[in-house]
Amino acid sequence: MKRLLVVVSVLIIAFSTLGFAPASAVASAPAAPAQADKKYEIVMVAKMEGVSWFDDMRVGVEQFGKDYNVNAYQIAPDTGDPAKQAQMVEDLIAKGVDAILVVPNDPKSMEPVLKKAKEKGIVVVTHEAQALAPIVDYDLEAFKNEDFGVVMGKALAEAMGGEGKYTGFVGALTMETHMQWFNAMQEYLKKEYPKMEFVSKQPYEDNNDEKAAYAKVQEILKTYPDLKGMFGNSASSTTMEGLVMKEKNNKNIKVVGLSLPSMAGEYIKDGFIQQAQCWRPADAGYVSALIALNILKGEKITDGMDLKKPGYEKVILDKKIIYGNAPLILTKDTVDKYDF
Amino acid sequence: MKRLKKYINQNEWYLMGIILIYSIIVTTQNSGFFTLENFFDVLKGSSGMIILAMGILVVLLSGGIDLSFTAIAMFGGYSAARLMMATKIDNLAFAFVVSAVIGILLGAVNALIIHKFHLPTMIATLGTSSLFSGIMTTFIGTKTITVGMMPKSLRAFGGFRLFEMVNDAGSTYGLTVFIIPVVIVVVVTWFILYKTMLGRGVIALGNSEEAAKRSGFNLFWIRMFIYTYVGLLAGIMGVIYVAEVNSVYAVALYGTELTYIAAVVIGGAKLTGGEGKILGTLLGVIIVRLLNSTLVFLGLTSSWNGFFTGAVLLFSVGLTSYMSRLRSRRNLTFTD
Repeated sequence: MKRLLVVVSVLIIAFSTLGFAPASAVASAPAAPAQADKKYEIVMVAKMEGVSWFDDMRVGVEQFGKDYNVNAYQIAPDTGDPAKQAQMVEDLIAKGVDAILVVPNDPKSMEPVLKKAKEKGIVVVTHEAQALAPIVDYDLEAFKNEDFGVVMGKALAEAMGGEGKYTGFVGALTMETHMQWFNAMQEYLKKEYPKMEFVSKQPYEDNNDEKAAYAKVQEILKTYPDLKGMFGNSASSTTMEGLVMKEKNNKNIKVVGLSLPSMAGEYIKDGFIQQAQCWRPADAGYVSALIALNILKGEKITDGMDLKKPGYEKVILDKKIIYGNAPLILTKDTVDKYDF
Repeated sequence: MKRLKKYINQNEWYLMGIILIYSIIVTTQNSGFFTLENFFDVLKGSSGMIILAMGILVVLLSGGIDLSFTAIAMFGGYSAARLMMATKIDNLAFAFVVSAVIGILLGAVNALIIHKFHLPTMIATLGTSSLFSGIMTTFIGTKTITVGMMPKSLRAFGGFRLFEMVNDAGSTYGLTVFIIPVVIVVVVTWFILYKTMLGRGVIALGNSEEAAKRSGFNLFWIRMFIYTYVGLLAGIMGVIYVAEVNSVYAVALYGTELTYIAAVVIGGAKLTGGEGKILGTLLGVIIVRLLNSTLVFLGLTSSWNGFFTGAVLLFSVGLTSYMSRLRSRRNLTFTD
């Protein structure tokens, strides 16, 4: 009995520490192709399973596989756990795939394992991780973050009529991209719209948690009764701003920010969110895979080259970072066109 | 006063004092805090937490710790929503039944593992927590359910108010319908704990397993009750959570267990079992909720968040614990 007990507890602990990363990796990977046809194997390691953003990215990656006749697929950890994600990359290295595409949860912790992949001669392309550019083949960005911040700022100013108090969210003050958008937006608004006033010293944080965002938006409304505008640099916060405005039936406060058609579409159509911005994850996945395939075939990536997707027709190459110009603006009229 | 003393213990008076003083401080900083609108908003935001806290209280009373309730809540809420979408049965009662049944079944798995293998509850539920969420993500799916896909009855439930008012600025607010399940759960938990032999058994188990066994309690059925009850409440909470934010990430609540347990412990429940009260638990939830959500009112920037919450939390827990030690010493008991 005692031995059984020990065995069971060891098993349970093993299960809980391992989580289910290996299991889900196996589950989401399609059956390995026969060794005979030497198709390139290009694998996208996304941040996590179960979010519509990466579901759409999977569409792009798989479409690429069909278009170019390569074995392209996407895997991701169940949760946004950087350690699990690094483990998945490790597994891919062991498996000996041709190219790894990564959207890292935490670029820093991904560094050693990506170095290892490079040493083994695997092509590595990252997305949303400029800091990793020096050690990988290329990093792909949908746009320059500063430009995207300005797009947001402009939308907010136009919705608010260029004056009044506003505040908003980032995912967390430590999230580099969110802060780059925020800072660029602030700089733009200060210069172009001096009558607009940012009421809090820092943006609020939602830590990508809808419930937290929901509660904070409600408090902000009570704290600043004369607020005229709100932005969201995280999809959760923009969407929850829309939900709170809808529940309180408040159209005086203009909401603008990062979100997805499936998350914000309804609030945009009802007029509780004026405009949302994003980029197409499917395209980012597709273009990342294309970059990897080009490298595998020995072709060069050059400044101004056409990477075949809207907004990536004339990319900017800055050292090892490839910038597209592909912000996607969602308004009442355009939001229904997309399915992610 | 004497009668009141019977229902409210020293620890709970301190908690109420802390809540009162804290509320006054916040109100002096921002008058928006002390409004009916804010009260209703906070009540809605705390509903799910109160329901889970009742279940956690029962587990802690029995001397156990459950770490799997968030996984169960997501399993129940997410599966219910998915099943509604797949079968086109757009009915709120259906959602609750599906989620509750899933919760009870998973709770029973916990109880069986804990009882049959005599495992420490924390280890067992840590394992089942990963297991449950793994089963869900592997077999049911991980696809996010967004507002457009959400079944109508769930959305209506999330936004429904028992009565509505309009404030000066023209925006509407009111008392959430969530209050109904909350009141039912609190009353039922109180009844079971204090008015039934089952409840006595739970507390006896928490005080001394051996003594409970010798006084004739059937420990298997008591454990079965404890963990299926937590499962049931987690299932109910899952549906409320899904309805509240109108979208579901499959992994949304996963990893937040300790916040819920902390609320119950702040409320005076002992991790070693046998001690804890419903009123205290409610006060604990209020304190955690207040701390997490008044930073905006106080005008503190986000970077203060962790520091501030931690400091006030330690202060309130430290104070209540110190006071109870002083009291014990006066009574010449030196047990804690």
